Amino acid sequence: MSKIKLAHYWGAGCGGCDVALLDIDEKILGVAEIADIVFWPIAVDGKVKDVEAMPDKSITCTLFNGAVRNSENEHMAKLLRQKSAIVVSFGSCACYGGIPGLGNLTNRKEILELVYTKLPTSDNVERVFPQAETHTKDGDLELPVLYDTVMTLDQVIDVDYYMPGCPPTTNLINEFLGIVTAHVKEGAPLPPKGAMIASQKTLCDECKRKKAVKKIDRIYMPHEIAIDPDKCMLEQGIICLGSSTRAGCGAKCLEGNQPCRGCMGPTAEVLDQGGSMLSALASVYRVEDNEALLSEDNIATLMAQVKDPMGTFYCYTLPKSIIKRKVKEKKQVKKEV
Amino acid sequence: MSGPILSDEKTTSTSKRITIDPITRLEGHGKIEIFLDDSGNVANAYWQVPELRGFEAFCIGRSVEDLNKITSRLCGVCPGAHHLCSTKALDGVFNATPPPTAIKLRELFYAAHYVHSHIAHFYALAAADFVLGPCAPAATRNILGVVGAVGVPVGAEVIKHRSYAQKVQEVIGGKATHPVCGLPGGMARVITEDERKKFEAMSKSCVEFAKFTQDIFANVVLKNKDYLDIILNKDIYYQETYNLGTVDKNDKINFYDGTQKMIDPDGNEVARYKDKEYTKYIAEHVLPWSYEKFCYFKPVGWKGLVAGKDSGIYRATPLSRLNVSKGFTTPLAQAEY
Ligand code: SF4
Ligand code: SF4
Ligand code: SF4
Repeated sequence: MSKIKLAHYWGAGCGGCDVALLDIDEKILGVAEIADIVFWPIAVDGKVKDVEAMPDKSITCTLFNGAVRNSENEHMAKLLRQKSAIVVSFGSCACYGGIPGLGNLTNRKEILELVYTKLPTSDNVERVFPQAETHTKDGDLELPVLYDTVMTLDQVIDVDYYMPGCPPTTNLINEFLGIVTAHVKEGAPLPPKGAMIASQKTLCDECKRKKAVKKIDRIYMPHEIAIDPDKCMLEQGIICLGSSTRAGCGAKCLEGNQPCRGCMGPTAEVLDQGGSMLSALASVYRVEDNEALLSEDNIATLMAQVKDPMGTFYCYTLPKSIIKRKVKEKKQVKKEV
Repeated sequence: MSGPILSDEKTTSTSKRITIDPITRLEGHGKIEIFLDDSGNVANAYWQVPELRGFEAFCIGRSVEDLNKITSRLCGVCPGAHHLCSTKALDGVFNATPPPTAIKLRELFYAAHYVHSHIAHFYALAAADFVLGPCAPAATRNILGVVGAVGVPVGAEVIKHRSYAQKVQEVIGGKATHPVCGLPGGMARVITEDERKKFEAMSKSCVEFAKFTQDIFANVVLKNKDYLDIILNKDIYYQETYNLGTVDKNDKINFYDGTQKMIDPDGNEVARYKDKEYTKYIAEHVLPWSYEKFCYFKPVGWKGLVAGKDSGIYRATPLSRLNVSKGFTTPLAQAEY
């Protein structure tokens, strides 16, 4: 059996997805048995020029983590797509934008202004900003162009499979590697294109906490009350995205006695994770007995308690949500670095 | 096991520019451009960071309680450091001193984080350079190549102990990569007596493994004259800069808390400050060819990318921690100091 070729690359991510691949522990040795890792910057010494020299579709499978935030991320996504038979959108950043996707609550100009000139530690009276091209006495240097909007991987290239999670858990990674191994060794079929390598259930199904049908009077931040580790978070007044979030992580944050913030992304039935959570929250909020629905006043009082609705309901999924980003200013700024 | 390969196969190049893209075996994006002079020596080199996600900007407007979960995504190899740093900032914002148990839990969590992060760095990222040698074939210079050289049983020990460290973090923090345990003035959950016992056994095993690792380093590097000739050569691997690190009241190394101590290249203390006061001592310069900013010691000032006493450039690294301190508080570490 000849070995398959694997690649793992990062766009706008944090390296946690790369560490997640190491977290499969001794199984990484099994991966080495069936695969050559041809490109994996965090752990292997291959260069972009090596990838460029590979024949098209010669990489059996590329795991791509991180969102698309700049021109290099986009270029590498397209290059790896061209060179790979299978591309997996790996982790929440690639699938939904993830934490870097919160960048869509601001824009390129605001980010550059703040980071390079306005911080308390900034020393930049000359207003120097990173440039796409810099002429130095030694030669020209290039940098990628920062985009205004953070994109998910599938907004830029065609994706074969999705594996959400920030980072994806060992179980999901092993499940996928099992599928690939069975395919390589025994010719077992691969999942249909577009498949989500995760549970089809909702996180609440996976969560061990006791659920009663209890209504809440107000919302608490996790540090404001002594959390009962056996009871549903939401029923204790703590916003937990479990009911709108895909299962598959083992309810890890709940095991840590903290609410779910939704890193696995929306469930199969739910289109928009934040929107779905808002209605879930409204449904547990106490209303006067004679009213079936929340009045506008009720909704206003409820929402006034959520300090940061976008960060709370769309923490990991903004670029993939219906909202996608904060509305752009009408007058578009000219592209410049 | 054969020794590391320390000299290159000689190749000739007519190019006056060498591009290393991407730099590998570390977290984050980076590339190096090297310019050669007419005789083929290095005229100048640029280390460029081609990425920016803009945390500074998108953290504005988020609930302050969420920031320790958001900022851990700065880096998925050392998320525990960012999580705790932000949690300590939360203690300050809420003016809430954690009870002793919470501090002990944080220290335990962080110690486990250290073990994971340093095993990952030592074996998965750096070992290829000293076990296999900097001139070993590129395709072997990675963790699988290292396992090939040291043998599967040793590889299994590496994997087991990194896994122990991840396990301890996961129990305390919910997740090892991107924990959720830190709250303003405390921690999200306690550990049970059963968990404590397991941690103790795993920790003891990790101490033995650390001794074993010291031996590997001593045998492969410190007892190898050819290797020492390279790494101790002041013409290659040597820069004199300021150094910064955290020390306790006795000037011993502390990982969790203490004061920041800065020394000049001659080893004289030039500043000592609490975390909150950092803007008085640290500033950031901007150069147009990198998204990364260049930190420097403010009292000396930015004098360009030069080393020495007249330049504000400083290190804040494991090495600088050793340089600024008067040793460790634990006997085995102190014996190696
Ligand atoms: S999904 Fe999470 S772990 Fe993966 S790269 Fe993004 S922030 Fe890091
Ligand atoms: S809302 Fe949260 S705590 Fe409640 S059952 Fe669902 S996942 Fe568990
Ligand atoms: S509990 Fe929620 S936020 Fe935590 S890992 Fe699972 S899906 Fe992600």
